[in-house]
Amino acid sequence: MSDKSERLAELRAKHGRPPAAPHEPKHDAPTAREAQPRFRGLESGHRACQGCGEALAARLVMECAGPDVMVANATGCLEVFTTAWPQSAWRVPWMHSLFENAPAIASGMEAAMKAKGKNTKVLAFGGDGATYDIGFQALSGMLERYHNILYVCYDNEAYMNTGIQRSSSTPHSATTTTSPAGKERMGKRHLKKDLLSIIAAHHIPYAAAASVAYPQDLQRKVRYAMGIEGPTFLVIHSPCPLGWKHDSAATIEVARRAVECGLFPLVELERGAVTNVMPIRDARPVTDYLELQGRFAHLFNGEDPRAQEERDHLQALADHNIQTFGLNGEGDDPLDTSGIAAVGRGGPVTGRG
Amino acid sequence: MAILTRGAYAEPGTTLDFKTGNWRSTGKPVHDHVKAPCHAACPAGEDQQAWFAHLQAGHPKLAWRELVQANPLPGVTGRVCPHPCETACNRAAMDGALAIHNVERWLGDKAVAKGWAYPVDAPADDAPIVAIIGAGPGGLSAAYHCLRNGLRADLYEALPEAGGLLRSAIPRTRLPREALDGELNRLLALPGITLNARTRLGRDVTVEGLLSTHAAVILAPGCQSAKAWDVDGAVPADLHEGLHLLKEFMDHGQFPKADKVVVHGGGNTAIDLCRLMKRAGASEVTLVTASGLPGPDTAPDDIINVVPRELDEALEEGIEIIDHATVSRLVMKGSKVTGVEVVSLKKEPGKDGRKRRVAFEGTERLLSVDMVVPCIGEAVDPEGLQGLIDGTYVWAKDAWGRLEPENVHVLGDARGDRGTVAEAIGDGRLAAQAIAAKLAGAPDPEADTRLEMGASGLNLSYYMPTPRHAPAKVPVAERRFDTEIEGDLGRAAALAEANRCLSCGNCLACDNCWTFCPDNAVIKTVELAQDGSHYLFDLDYCKGCGLCAHECPTGYIQMVPED
Repeated sequence: MSDKSERLAELRAKHGRPPAAPHEPKHDAPTAREAQPRFRGLESGHRACQGCGEALAARLVMECAGPDVMVANATGCLEVFTTAWPQSAWRVPWMHSLFENAPAIASGMEAAMKAKGKNTKVLAFGGDGATYDIGFQALSGMLERYHNILYVCYDNEAYMNTGIQRSSSTPHSATTTTSPAGKERMGKRHLKKDLLSIIAAHHIPYAAAASVAYPQDLQRKVRYAMGIEGPTFLVIHSPCPLGWKHDSAATIEVARRAVECGLFPLVELERGAVTNVMPIRDARPVTDYLELQGRFAHLFNGEDPRAQEERDHLQALADHNIQTFGLNGEGDDPLDTSGIAAVGRGGPVTGRG
Repeated sequence: MAILTRGAYAEPGTTLDFKTGNWRSTGKPVHDHVKAPCHAACPAGEDQQAWFAHLQAGHPKLAWRELVQANPLPGVTGRVCPHPCETACNRAAMDGALAIHNVERWLGDKAVAKGWAYPVDAPADDAPIVAIIGAGPGGLSAAYHCLRNGLRADLYEALPEAGGLLRSAIPRTRLPREALDGELNRLLALPGITLNARTRLGRDVTVEGLLSTHAAVILAPGCQSAKAWDVDGAVPADLHEGLHLLKEFMDHGQFPKADKVVVHGGGNTAIDLCRLMKRAGASEVTLVTASGLPGPDTAPDDIINVVPRELDEALEEGIEIIDHATVSRLVMKGSKVTGVEVVSLKKEPGKDGRKRRVAFEGTERLLSVDMVVPCIGEAVDPEGLQGLIDGTYVWAKDAWGRLEPENVHVLGDARGDRGTVAEAIGDGRLAAQAIAAKLAGAPDPEADTRLEMGASGLNLSYYMPTPRHAPAKVPVAERRFDTEIEGDLGRAAALAEANRCLSCGNCLACDNCWTFCPDNAVIKTVELAQDGSHYLFDLDYCKGCGLCAHECPTGYIQMVPED
C-alpha cells in the first residue's frame, strides 16, 4: 500500500467514511460531529482568532449555500486561516486567487461549469479590502458581465490580515495603524464607502447587507441569492475582536449594536431599488456601539474637545441612515431588530407558523 | 449527473487534525443549570420554570403533574398567595413579570375539572403513620407529602371541616368555596390520608399520646388566638379583634354596625376586613399601617405584606390607607371609642444597627371613628402545646421544623417566622421528607445550594417583547361577597404566558450556541446529553472565546477556568 492510501485509511478510520454513492449505506455509525443536522462546509480546526466574526459568517453562509457549490476566495484572513498548508477547513471545491481577482477567477469557474453543463453554483468570497478596494474593478466587471455568481464580502472594516490598516470600508474616526488617532487626527478622516449603492448601480438582481448578529436573516438572504440566476452580492458585517479591540465574547453584541444604532443598516436592493429593510423601532445611541470597541476609545477622552464632535458626527451618520432607509419602520410587524433574533424553546422564533 | 447530498461531497476537512482546543487561555464553556429566581423565591418549593416548559410544549396535564410535585393546592395558592415568584421574576424589568399565579390557578382548576390524578401511589398497608395536628394548608401539604414519601397520614382537626384559615378567614371573593372544596376533597380522598375532624389537641388528643401510637407528629395548628391589643392601657369595651371579626362575618355574613372604621394593622386580614366592611356599608374605612406602600423609594423589607393585587383592588374600592403610621391614642367617650389619634412613624436604624420604629412628635392627627379594629396578628393557642410553646410561637430548630422532643415537627404560622399559605405548604413538604429520611435511617435530604440566576446573567436581546396577559376582573361597583373578583385567565392566555418564560438558567434548546460558535465546536445531539441539554462542547476545537456564554439567552452556559 502506498503512503497515500495508508494516510487515507487512517483519516477514514478517524473521521468516518462517506458513502461512495448516495444510495450506499455508510460504513460506520456516524460520529456526533458527522451527524450534525446541517452542512459543515467550513470545519473546525481553522486558525481564526477567538471570537472571529468572519469565520462565523463564512460558516453560516456555507451551511445554507452548500453542498453543491464551489468557492473562489480572495487573499485575506479567510483564505489564510482556513488553509494552512497542507490542511483545509473547506469541504467544497475551493480556489485561492490573488487579492484583486477573485471575481475574475469566479467568472472563469462559472463559465467552465456552464460549458460542462453543470449547475454547481459559484461563490466568490473576499474581505472588505479585496472588495471595496483592491478587487473592486474585477468585481464590477463580474457584475457587468452578468455571471451567475454570489459574491460575499466579509466586512471587518480594515486590512486585518496584514495588521489592521485602514480600508475604504473603515468607518469614520476609527483608529487603525495607518489612521492612528492622535494629535493630528481623530482616527480615519474619511467616510466609509457606500459600496452597496455602487453595487446596486450595476442594476444587478439582488444586493443586500447582513450581519452576523442576525443569522436567520443572514441565511435567508443567502438562500434568496442562491435561487437567483445572475450576479448577486451580499456584504456581511463581521466584527474583528483583534482589529476592533473588543472582547472576543462580545462579537455578536458589537454587531448587534451596530445594527441597532443605525450605523450598519440591513437593507436589500433589487435592480438598484430598496425592496426591504430591517427596521429599528428603538434606535440606540451610537455611543452604545462605540464604547465597546478600543478602536473608538479616543472618542471617549473627556479632555479632548474633538471627541464629542466626532461622536456627534457618527450619530449624525447613523441618523442619516435611519432617515434615508426609513429604518424606523411602520406598523407593528414584530420582525425587526428587537424580534428577528428572538428565540423560544426549540429554536429561533422567526419562521414559526 | 450525480446527485449530491449533504455531507457526501468532500472528504472531511483535514483541519480537523489541528486541535485548536489548546488555544484556550481564560476558560472553557460549561452548562450550569442554576436556579431560576421564581423557584428560589417560592416558599412552597415549586419549580415554575419546569411546569412552564411543559405548558410551552402544549401539555397542561404534564405541567400540573410537575407543579403538584411540590404544591398539592395550586388552585388555592393561585388565588391567595402573594406570589413572591412574580416579584422575583427576571422578566419584571423587561415587560412585566409572568402572570405565574394566574396560570397556576388555571392549572389547578383544570385538574379539578378534568379529574387528573395526583402523582402518588397508595402507601403500603403497614407503612408508618404520621400524626398531623391541624388540617390547614400546612397540615394538608404535610399529609400529601407523607404519601409521596411512602408514609400514611392521620390528620386531626378541631373544626368539622378541613381547610383551616383558607376556610375560616379568606373571603370568597378571593377564594370561592367551590375552588377550595374541589381541591381539598380530592386531596383528602387519596388513599392513606385519614381526617379526624372535631378532634381538638389538648382535649381529645395529646402530643405524647400521638407519639406513642404514631411514627412521628407534625404540629400545624396555625395561629388562632388574638394578640392582646391596647393603646396605653385603653381598650374599647366593644373591641372586636380583626381575625375574629372576619371569621364571624364568614359564618354569619354580618358586621357590627359602624360607619367610620379604622383598621390597625398591615396584613391580608386587615385589607380583607377593610374591603368587606366598606362593601357592607361603612362609609369611611381607613387602614393605619406601620409599613410603607410599594414604590420606588420603599425598602423591600418595609413594604406592606399583602398580596399586591389585593392592595390595588383595595385602593380602587376607596379604602384610605395611612402608611408609616400607628394609633397613638384612643379618644373615648365612657368606654366607647369616638376617635383615634394617629402619629407618623418610620423604621430607623438604632445604635445597634437594628431597625426600630420611631414615632415623629408633632405629626399627631385625630380621626373621628365609630369603631377601631386591631389586626396586628395572632398567636398560637397554647392548649395542648405546653412545654413546646415559647412565648407566642412554637419556634422550630431547623429548616425541617424539628422540635426538642424527637420525631416532633412544627410548620406554618405556628412557627412564628412564617405567614403565608405557600410557606406552610413548603414546610409540610420539608417535614415529611425529613421524617421519611429518618425512618429510612438516611441523612436529611440535601438542600439545593445552586446559585440563583439574576437578570444580569441573561441576554435579553433574544426575547420577543410581549406584554403580560391579565385576566378580567369584576368592576368595583359590582363587587359583592360571593363572586370571585379576579377572573379565569383562560387557556390561550395561559399558554401565551408560558411562552413568555425566560427559562432563566436552564437550556431552552434555542440553538444559539450551536449557531454562533465560530469554530463549529458546539455539537448538537438528538439524544439528551448527560447534563440534560442537546448540546456538547467539543473541547478539542473550542478556543474559549466565550461567545456562546455571552449569547446564551438564559445564562445556562458559563465560562469557568480550566481544570
